[in-house]
Amino acid sequence: MGSKVLPQALITIPRNPNQCPIKRLGFYSVISRRSSPMKSAGVSTSFGGSNFGPLFAKRDFAVRAESNAEGEAVEAEENAEENVGEGSEVVAGTEGEGEAVSESEEAKPPRKPRVKLGDIMGILNKRAVEASENERPIPDIRTGDIVEIKLEVPENRRRLSVYKGIVISRQNAGIHTTIRIRRIIAGIGVEIVFPLYSPNIKEIKVVNHRKVRRARLYYLRDKLPRLSTFK
Amino acid sequence: MIQIEQQRSFIQMRTVLKVVDNSGAKKVMCIQALKGKKGARLGDTIVASVKEAYPNGKVKKGKVVYGVVVRAAMQRGRCDGSEVKFDDNAVVLVDKQGQPIGTRVFGPVPHELRKKKHVKILSLAGHIA
Repeated sequence: MGSKVLPQALITIPRNPNQCPIKRLGFYSVISRRSSPMKSAGVSTSFGGSNFGPLFAKRDFAVRAESNAEGEAVEAEENAEENVGEGSEVVAGTEGEGEAVSESEEAKPPRKPRVKLGDIMGILNKRAVEASENERPIPDIRTGDIVEIKLEVPENRRRLSVYKGIVISRQNAGIHTTIRIRRIIAGIGVEIVFPLYSPNIKEIKVVNHRKVRRARLYYLRDKLPRLSTFK
Repeated sequence: MIQIEQQRSFIQMRTVLKVVDNSGAKKVMCIQALKGKKGARLGDTIVASVKEAYPNGKVKKGKVVYGVVVRAAMQRGRCDGSEVKFDDNAVVLVDKQGQPIGTRVFGPVPHELRKKKHVKILSLAGHIA
């Protein structure tokens, strides 16, 4: 790698805008246009001699001899990194393949936006949610839905446990989005919080819907048990 | 009157619990939570004193008994991220070895009891939450 970088470095130095006069720019653009239809890997012969100043000829040949497609891309990346600040004016004018300079433009992807530190959790959560959605899509569940959940419990291991009840709240937290189900079982009110994207949940089905005018139905705890009973 | 949501807490000394088996007691008051510095939770064992009892039962008022908490108003987290909470605090009386004194259990019980090795209570239960 070092040997590949070195001739590249040798070449990048003269590409400083203060060192490279506009005349050189003319050289480069002429060369690039001439060679644009061809991939640079096998192009060395066409570059013959006439347009090259003797200063650059040896170095460019050396570069092309050593580099293969990968090497170019890597060098182009490195070149792009180095040159972004300095030589962007110089290389901006050229287009297409051909020169190592214009290779760097071609191989360099459109400027990727930097990932800010504050966005990382959001991105990770989104990825995890998408991965879970691919395995098993979750229906849209809102407060007031009467749902039936089939859960696989590692302790039970026999059948899937079925939980039915009304959704009294939904907390959105990325992958740990949870819903709270309330139901009266055998005379006693039971509330269970389920993480929606849990792999243990085998099936979620919305059975019914009750019109509610609230996002959290905690008032049901104080009301008659009849309101939380679901057959 | 604005009511703030009550944050439920552990079962500790002086907590009155409902008895949900047919051992004869109706209400017990917790004297000691056997495990846990702050108090007992769902599935833990407590030492309790019988405060109210049916006239002809296996236990009488004033007796000190052990009990297993089968329903707690405080939520208990499960290993898969879910939580369960009940509307009341209930206990099943057991003996020193952990075998229930009564022969029937009323109401739902959580399957946390299986992990705590209270299999007999689970088998007597009518409904496993």
